[in-house]
Amino acid sequence: MKENKNKKNPSYAKWGYIFVASFFVVYFLFTFIPQVLTIYDSFFDYTDIVGTLETEVSFAGLKNYKMLFSRNIRGDIEILRCLGNTIIIWLIGVIPQMSFGLLIALIFTSSKLRLKGTGFFKTVFYMPNLIMAAAFASLILALFGTIGPFHTLFVEKGWIAQTFDFISDKTWARILIAFMNFLMWFGNTTILLMAGIQGIDNSVFESAKIDGASSVHVLWDITLPLLKPIAVYVFITSMIGGLQMFDVAEVLTGKAKNNSTRTIVMLINDYLKVGNYGHAGAVSVVLFIITAILSLIIFRSINRKGESMS
Amino acid sequence: MNKLLKKFLAVSFVFVLTFVLIGCGETNGSDDELNDGGSIFHIYAWNTEFQGFFNKYVSDEKANDSSIETYHLDGVPVKWTIVTSDNGAYQNALDMALRENATANEENKVDMFLAEADYILKYVNTSLTKDIEKIGVDDFSQAYQYTVDIGTDRTGVIKAASFQCCPAGMVYRRSIALEVLGVSEPEDVQPLVDSWEKFEDVAEMMQEKGYYMTGSYADTYRVFSNNADKPWVDENKQVQIPTPVQTWMEQAEKFVKEGYTKTEGVWDGGKTIEFAEGGKVFCTFGPAWYYNFCMGPAMGEGDEHVGGTYGDWGLITGPQAYFWGGTWLLCPSAGSNDTLVAKTMNAFLNNEEILERLVKEDSQFSNNKKVNAKVAADYDAEGKGNGLLNGQNDTKVWVEMADNIVVRYSTIYDQHCNEGLQTAFVKFLKNDAEINTKEKALADFYADLLKAFPNLVVPD
Repeated sequence: MKENKNKKNPSYAKWGYIFVASFFVVYFLFTFIPQVLTIYDSFFDYTDIVGTLETEVSFAGLKNYKMLFSRNIRGDIEILRCLGNTIIIWLIGVIPQMSFGLLIALIFTSSKLRLKGTGFFKTVFYMPNLIMAAAFASLILALFGTIGPFHTLFVEKGWIAQTFDFISDKTWARILIAFMNFLMWFGNTTILLMAGIQGIDNSVFESAKIDGASSVHVLWDITLPLLKPIAVYVFITSMIGGLQMFDVAEVLTGKAKNNSTRTIVMLINDYLKVGNYGHAGAVSVVLFIITAILSLIIFRSINRKGESMS
Repeated sequence: MNKLLKKFLAVSFVFVLTFVLIGCGETNGSDDELNDGGSIFHIYAWNTEFQGFFNKYVSDEKANDSSIETYHLDGVPVKWTIVTSDNGAYQNALDMALRENATANEENKVDMFLAEADYILKYVNTSLTKDIEKIGVDDFSQAYQYTVDIGTDRTGVIKAASFQCCPAGMVYRRSIALEVLGVSEPEDVQPLVDSWEKFEDVAEMMQEKGYYMTGSYADTYRVFSNNADKPWVDENKQVQIPTPVQTWMEQAEKFVKEGYTKTEGVWDGGKTIEFAEGGKVFCTFGPAWYYNFCMGPAMGEGDEHVGGTYGDWGLITGPQAYFWGGTWLLCPSAGSNDTLVAKTMNAFLNNEEILERLVKEDSQFSNNKKVNAKVAADYDAEGKGNGLLNGQNDTKVWVEMADNIVVRYSTIYDQHCNEGLQTAFVKFLKNDAEINTKEKALADFYADLLKAFPNLVVPD
């Protein structure tokens, strides 16, 4: 049966589908299929072929998952430890990142201060985001390594012993990684929060001023609540990115095998490096589930508050 | 729209199926016949060292010239795939290529590849590599036995040929020896350090005069590990630390505690900077390729060697002879240029003219006893020697040492164990807050080892 072609209102809908189809093809081939294969791999035992060139693997059921969550010889459960490392390093970085970003955003959009040249500063703040993470980490490694300037200086002043190593130290290594993340991302946060603030209708501020609200009041009861959608977006994307933290930590502390800065993706990488795809797949699946759950929790809790307010 | 959607899904489903089915490849090529006739001679390596020698000595062009775009062997163009060995990238790429070699197209098929002693066992013990005696490489009469042993699989089939022999010893600073020990010539220094006890005694003397014995806690690791008395893992998958490695752990702990060495790694800048003028390190360990190419700060700047310690070094056996490194050539079972592989291997095993030039012009130590002995004698007659070593005839030293190298007890876990033990132990040496005892360092090492090989059994 011929389709009814209405010449007065030609249907462009199919073009919409065709254009969107390209995204779905790419997603399907390069994201969906690998995800399915990863989950598939996680149920097989690759440990018999690690270190050899064999390819036959046997079905392992939930063995990989069981092994992941059992205590290792060092006394910890590696996957939980890595998860802890990831979250801690992320928190150390995201709290200053959002506070600082918010502070600068408020300053730059303040009607009282009316700063000039904010465009220039926005560019400068954003620039660290463009640095390749691996290059940045190599720089920090050179600065804080055992023959780097900081080490030499601190030893001279007697603040640290000669054998101290910033990169292997639990606290310092985490701070360095968090600092790098902060530097790389606060510009992005600033710009987004600025856009959020500028998106608030000016009439709201004016009426508040007329009502005699103090600037603290304005900040707390108007700006911040109206900023919430953007802030939530920044927080969730930062968290998802934070959970996947890899290149900075790996380049800085991967070689030294610092147990306190091994992130979850570094753990996956450890398994991938040796060809243990079963365990790597299992960790990936766990990470996926955790990310999904956390995102859902945050999303729901923010929205629920919003609903109760309205 | 429904029809379009259905068609789209059907096509993509077929697409997916094709990808999945390609993965179920064939098994390997024939092991007995020669696979020849490939249009490209494709070689895998992790750096360009061998490529330089290949171009200069074996290729049709017989020169390593940057103006030549493509080299040939017997008319066949040569293609190199160089992947760095950092983070295991080289082995990952090579493993993938080898597994798919049977079904790979001419461009991608691997015809020959290089491997190091640390991980070669994996490639020797698989059916994916070929018996090289069957492709015409069967004269090992002049090769050093350990190089043949390393390339032999468990059934006695030889799978790999080495183009180098890498005996290693101790290089020391002559001026520091003179100041602290009162002597500086190799024949006088050797008796003072020919055992580990004497080595420790000298270390104490060095420390008293303000010098470090070695620049790295790990400088002596390989001397111990390459003289292992048992394999890292026995037939029951039980992990056991070879006795020499345990000795190393004790020595490293003492040396760090007493200040005889620095807490730097073998390749760290903190160690090599001490090779420059005014450096405080007495000795290091390595083969010819180490002191010729990896002691940059010792070489100084320019022909005058400004700021270096050129000419202030001497080579001796030290407390124990060992070997370090070496490059082996292997032939995949499903390659396409077996005759060219054989030609290359034979050239580097037995072509005396090429090998003599390799030793004399490129400062290598070849895998041919006759050539090495001849060059050593030539150098003696001409009074020639190595500039860094104050004119010492190092080839002669190696000729005497190399025959005694014996390698047994290799396992596929060696690379992991050697690297893993050192990485864990250095945390203890550096007073890590968490890994603060030897037992915890070992636990850390075992935990890491079990991540890769969960089926191993570790000591309690």
